[in-house]
Amino acid sequence: MSETDLAVIKPEMMKPYVWLQTSDDSIQQVEQEIAMFCPLICQEIIQKGMGSSKNCAICLPQQVSPAMLSLILDYCRFHQVPGRSNKERKSYDEKFVRIDTERLCELTSAADSLQLKPLVDLTSRALARIIEGKTPEEIRDIFHLPDDLTEEEKLEPLRNITADPRIRLLNRLYAKKRKELKERERLKNVEVEEEHVDDRSVDDLLSFINGNDGDPKGVKTSKNKKKNRRKKEQQKNSSLKEASELNKKEVNGHDIRHQSSEAEIISETSYLHCAEDDGFTSKPEFDDDEIDPALKEKIDREVEDFARRLNSDWPERMQELLSSGQERKTVFFTADGFIRRHACMISPFVTVFSLIHHVFRAEC
Amino acid sequence: MQRMAYTFSFPEEVLEHVFSFIESERDRNAISLVCKSWYEIERWCRRNVFVGNCYAVSPVMVIKRFPELRSIALKGKPHFADFNLVPEGWGGYVCPWIAAMACAFPCLEEIRLKRMVITDESLELIAKSFKNFKVLVLTSCEGFTTDGLAAIAANCRNLKELDLQESEVDDLSGHWLSHFPDSYTSLVSLNISCLGNEVSLSALERLLGRCPNLRTLRLNRAVPLDRLPNLLRRCPQLVELGTGVYSTEMRPEVFSNLEAAFSECKQLKSLSGFWDVLPSYLPAVYPVCSRLTSLNLSYAIIQSPDLIKLISQCPNLLRLWVLDYIEDAGLYNLAASCKDLRELRVFPSDPFGLEPNVALTEKGLVSVSEGCPRLQSVLYFCRQMSNAALRTIAQNRPNLTRFRLCIIEPRTPDYLTHEPLDSGFGAIVEHCKDLQRLSLSGLLTDRVFEYIGTYGKKLEMLSVAFAGESDLGLHHVLSGCDNLRKLEIRDCPFGDKALLANAAKLETMRSLWMSSCSVSYGACKLLGQKMPRLNVEVIDERGPPDSRPDDCAVEKIYIYRTVAGPRLDMPGFVWTMEDDSSLRLE
Repeated sequence: MSETDLAVIKPEMMKPYVWLQTSDDSIQQVEQEIAMFCPLICQEIIQKGMGSSKNCAICLPQQVSPAMLSLILDYCRFHQVPGRSNKERKSYDEKFVRIDTERLCELTSAADSLQLKPLVDLTSRALARIIEGKTPEEIRDIFHLPDDLTEEEKLEPLRNITADPRIRLLNRLYAKKRKELKERERLKNVEVEEEHVDDRSVDDLLSFINGNDGDPKGVKTSKNKKKNRRKKEQQKNSSLKEASELNKKEVNGHDIRHQSSEAEIISETSYLHCAEDDGFTSKPEFDDDEIDPALKEKIDREVEDFARRLNSDWPERMQELLSSGQERKTVFFTADGFIRRHACMISPFVTVFSLIHHVFRAEC
Repeated sequence: MQRMAYTFSFPEEVLEHVFSFIESERDRNAISLVCKSWYEIERWCRRNVFVGNCYAVSPVMVIKRFPELRSIALKGKPHFADFNLVPEGWGGYVCPWIAAMACAFPCLEEIRLKRMVITDESLELIAKSFKNFKVLVLTSCEGFTTDGLAAIAANCRNLKELDLQESEVDDLSGHWLSHFPDSYTSLVSLNISCLGNEVSLSALERLLGRCPNLRTLRLNRAVPLDRLPNLLRRCPQLVELGTGVYSTEMRPEVFSNLEAAFSECKQLKSLSGFWDVLPSYLPAVYPVCSRLTSLNLSYAIIQSPDLIKLISQCPNLLRLWVLDYIEDAGLYNLAASCKDLRELRVFPSDPFGLEPNVALTEKGLVSVSEGCPRLQSVLYFCRQMSNAALRTIAQNRPNLTRFRLCIIEPRTPDYLTHEPLDSGFGAIVEHCKDLQRLSLSGLLTDRVFEYIGTYGKKLEMLSVAFAGESDLGLHHVLSGCDNLRKLEIRDCPFGDKALLANAAKLETMRSLWMSSCSVSYGACKLLGQKMPRLNVEVIDERGPPDSRPDDCAVEKIYIYRTVAGPRLDMPGFVWTMEDDSSLRLE
């Protein structure tokens, strides 16, 4: 077959231009050599004979708008030039993806629909770099994604531990006590029994928390409790609905979620799950927001009880601890297995060591 | 209000493709928490997973959530097991994991374990079940013999890495190495430094010779020095080498042979081993010193002058592990020669002696902190320290991320002022804002914990021994350290109050270990009852805690968050406090 024959049979192969229709139904002419870079377009031309005129313009996928086509063609135009160095190409690519995230996503979609793998790789890597190092909230914000993991909100009370009112109280009161102590020291210039003061302040704190009826701070806490409980119930209602949707995806009856930034798989056995199974409306936690007041009182009483019992025989307890130190085989705690290895090596001497240690203890 | 997601038109494969470029666990976790669809896509394309506590989750859960795993890392016993504080038989059995994964993940390629118990049966199961198995790393593991290794060698045709770092292996015979078939050529990394017996050296030589991709070779002590050159000649492309015993009778031809062999190793960057060093053989490694980035001399009994000679030849050193024979003089020299140093570990040569046997003091560490601007990680054993020195170190090196100081004698005060070392460590946490890991020692009051709670906002792991005065110390840490993941405490006067008040914090951490403290059995029970998502393990070798009053202190307590409930493989001296739902009805 001669060249002219080929031109008659497959006229589009000779033409330098190809007709493409973008998502807005507009049609444009594009250099064929450039357009063929995209496998999908290549396919349409060669296998289906499309694109040779306005009438049989190649209908590009929905994801390809005129703007995206223009970008993609720029990319193809640059890269199809053979003489460019790797450094040049890399530099072009880096600048090419420095566009806002929305356009980057559009571009990824468009490139994928045209099966232009190198560009898909480039844009995907750029998106990955955007995602790296961000929190879920930030990612949601950047990509305009729905916050439809209802358990997420349940995780927050566990993260904001210092927001726990009891902890805040403890800290505030301790700070107050320390200030008072500094004042006393300054005025008296007498040695204060640190241990004694500390114990008293913690007891004070505990009793403060227990007996907070008439205290304005106490009132605030109970107000917050009410508000938060209402909020929790709202969340529970909406999440109960979603739970049934999620049932297909649940594993072992639990909704599995990551709870921390480190890579442990902690499945959030949902408050939801427990609420359904146990028929309780609140879980007794140390998070004040959810504690049933009667139960909270019970817990507080128990803690105070222990505190009192411990404080009564504290000096004896300390002595006991110190004297039992002689049984310790090794005091080291920072070497990685180093001491374990060496301990094995010198085990006949361990009893000697503990004897010497005992002597030292007695001296201090 | 619903904005259209930018990625709404992405087919799943595209999102998967984007995720394939994201490998760090933190980022993968973040992705899975973004929204439902990302959670789903992410779990199907997750290829590797790290489980920091094997009891935090069950194998079944992992398998169900991540059906396409290729690589898994598991940690078992708590860190204090390294110091013989966790009794034998406590747990950390990997068998249920291997059994479950053998069925579920035929394509599994990598298993990395730390402080776990693995049996020969499990090793055999691995060898049989995973056709494309590539990487086996057993760090500080135990429970297996060289028979298990033989099974791995014989069956894993695509094995790339076999690393037995610091594991306790029942070394029945060195023949296991000969089970690598002659057709096996894919070895990239082999670490047998913990094995006691001699392996068949001729089999080893042949193995090295036919594996062109070998990069890492850590030999055990039993490999004699005069055989090392032959081994090296089979693999001159080595990047990391651990020698065997580093002495033999002094013969000039052995020395020159050794030196020549080292000269051919143009890619060598890391050296370790050096058991029983004969200093006159040290110059044989001089040809590689200028390229060395990592030097582990923690077994090498080399005196300071020889160490100085060696180290001054290694200007590109990034990491140095050494015994305290290096002394202050050697550390001054290190500070002058190795300006790029990132990590320094100084181990004690005579930890149980009462008197110092070497001239190593706080001054050595101070000089390194001055001279090495990129120093990030420190582990330092010494016998004296001062607040002034710690403050200087902190001011010199605010870029420290790991600072582990072990003053050998517990409760040692500042040797200059006889005060506690509170302000010194306080300076460390205050200046080193990115500090992730801290180990305390010396005389310390509650004040140091106040500093840690105030400033240690990025702190993830804290080790405490013989420190503090009251529960307030523990309270400061639990309430102040926002990023705390692991807390290990021994012999401190911490009791119930701080623990119970901060119970919710425990669910945000991986684990808490307290031994020889003052936590009562009653408090443990209470914690177990109130916190169903925690396993509260009481470890007590004196017998059932029930047989003693509730206010009696328990020996050891190990608390960790879990979604797998109480474990079922506890030995007789471990009790998990039960979640008592009937208590809620009262």
